[in-house]
Amino acid sequence: MTVRELAASAALGEFAHLDEQSKREIRCALLTAVAVPGYQVPFASREMPVARGWGSGGLQVTLAVIGPDDTVKVIDQGDDAGVNAANLRRLIVASTGVADTTDAREASIIQTRHRIPEDPLGPDQVLVLQVPVPEPLRAVERDMRELRRMHAEADYSAIWLSLYEDLVRNGVITQSTGYPVLVGGRYVMATTPIPRWDVPKLHQAEFLSLFGAGREKRVYAVPPHTNVEPLAFEDVAFQVERTEGASCLLCGAVDAYLVEVPGREGWICSDTDWCTRRRADESPDVRAGRQLASVSPEAADARV
Amino acid sequence: MGYAAARGGLDAILAAEELMRAKRDGGSSPALGIDQVTERLNLAVDRVMGEAALWAPQLAAVALRQAEGDLIEAAHLLRAYRSTRPRLARALTVHADELEILRRIVPAYRVPPGPQLLGRTLDYVGRLLDVGTAPAAPGQANPTPTAAAPAVREESGDPADGGPADGDPRRPGRLLDLLRSQGMVRDRRRPDDPEPHDVTRDPVRPGAPRSARLSVMARAETGALVNLWYRNILGPDGYIHEVTLGEVRHGRLPVRVAHPVTGRPVCLGSVRVTEVEAIEDLDGSAEERGLFDVGYGLCLGHNERKAIAMANLDIAVERDGGRSPLEQSVLMTTDGLDASGFLEHLKLPHYVTFRSMVERKAAIRAAARPRAAGVSK
Repeated sequence: MTVRELAASAALGEFAHLDEQSKREIRCALLTAVAVPGYQVPFASREMPVARGWGSGGLQVTLAVIGPDDTVKVIDQGDDAGVNAANLRRLIVASTGVADTTDAREASIIQTRHRIPEDPLGPDQVLVLQVPVPEPLRAVERDMRELRRMHAEADYSAIWLSLYEDLVRNGVITQSTGYPVLVGGRYVMATTPIPRWDVPKLHQAEFLSLFGAGREKRVYAVPPHTNVEPLAFEDVAFQVERTEGASCLLCGAVDAYLVEVPGREGWICSDTDWCTRRRADESPDVRAGRQLASVSPEAADARV
Repeated sequence: MGYAAARGGLDAILAAEELMRAKRDGGSSPALGIDQVTERLNLAVDRVMGEAALWAPQLAAVALRQAEGDLIEAAHLLRAYRSTRPRLARALTVHADELEILRRIVPAYRVPPGPQLLGRTLDYVGRLLDVGTAPAAPGQANPTPTAAAPAVREESGDPADGGPADGDPRRPGRLLDLLRSQGMVRDRRRPDDPEPHDVTRDPVRPGAPRSARLSVMARAETGALVNLWYRNILGPDGYIHEVTLGEVRHGRLPVRVAHPVTGRPVCLGSVRVTEVEAIEDLDGSAEERGLFDVGYGLCLGHNERKAIAMANLDIAVERDGGRSPLEQSVLMTTDGLDASGFLEHLKLPHYVTFRSMVERKAAIRAAARPRAAGVSK
């Protein structure tokens, strides 16, 4: 190959934005991550067309594993129409030409920020989670050299102690999202900031979860059928978010992650596509009874 | 395919893009030419190239224009572009002594070896807002250093070729050589020649080699380095010495690659860099107090603020030896794209996490009630 040919091939633009060498390096890091569940694997982390902190890590993971036959779903807070989800989706689709979907059941790759879809995911699906802060111990230790030692020696006493102090001080464990988990009985891992509601979905999952932290240049993984145990005490159970009496204004769901509609004493599903399908599937009588045909939370808000 | 359900966000960002484009490309004045940016805003171009770690004045100017003058945004555009480009070749190592100076000052001596060459600087230009004078007409201004790029030429292959020529006032010796000859400087030169740590291919973490530290700072955001330096001069959590500057240089360095067939070095052009050597007074109880040590700073383009902060932080990290968090601060917190991207991500929706936090607040209040009543849960 001549320099001219090399330059010409580069000018064409690569499938999935990144050059093959970059994708290979990310895949190598991901293979290590899968082999050592919960361990944070350093990777080079390219500068992407999105800012650091805006899904650059998840985007690199998706682009490294995606193929022409994949179908991609991108959500932010559970919402396919979120502006950042829309931006990431168009970057992925534009650079690969793959099909996109909002239906979690149809997607082979789901890139997400802060949520795991309510639909149970299967063995042919890969969940790519955008990670702002990959280090679960940062709240208890700032020194990166010490953090490496703690993970290497599985010295997790500091985070256990912090959970205990939290409990003593507040009566409950106050960690809200990104709840620390023990993966495969070995590594303590940050669950991105997914809500506690989603944490049990990672335990003995059918699907592969890949975590990408672009700014901090780390990837990690939870392979299928891996134990993912929230750090909790024998006599103080891990609690997911639940609010007594809360149900979705749109679909009536009780058993889903609900977000509040302020000022209305009401709730809606965070997983918008799941919620939409539930409404479409239910009988017209029920729908008429609820008097809610619109997709948009704003419309629902106006009606309640 | 529930595409329609995802449409709202896309429509919104397309509309936002159109608003950006309309304001930037509209207006009543003529469109901004790239040559205008490279010529008239050359310090901004230099800064963007430095923080993007890519020497490409034209592309940096395109980025600056596209980013409407936002330097970090322009550096992001340039870096994101760079990350899609293949690496066609690897430049040969050049010695900084080959720097052809456009400016050189040596604050440590009145009459140093070699010239004090003030060159192009704002240092002694009165900071008076010039509202009355129209800029000089085109053609009257001096050509900027960016304009002159030497043509591609093959060189002899002799490593001495292009080295500092005795008596060449554009390539003077450096103060450090004088101090070394006097035995005044701690000698940290190493006999081996390790490959430099490539921070774009191998992520850094504390305990990194010096080459990684220097690479990180060369790409760092100027303001971040200045702040980190000042914080350690005046701030509550650190103390570093004010160094004495041995060299502040701005000039051209050749870029050479080995010819793919002959293997001989071929000069492809030059880059302008700012280079600083900072002389540090060793005064620690465990240090060689009879000697000085030297910190080093070098960045693309003309950016003395950055190179000086870099040189002082380099020697400060060296002397600190991992005792304080300084190295971690230098390595992990000075990248402009990392910091600004993460800061601005706070604008993204956070209602899933906030709902979880609200739920925990309710749980804390609920837990407090039975405890207050003396009932254990």
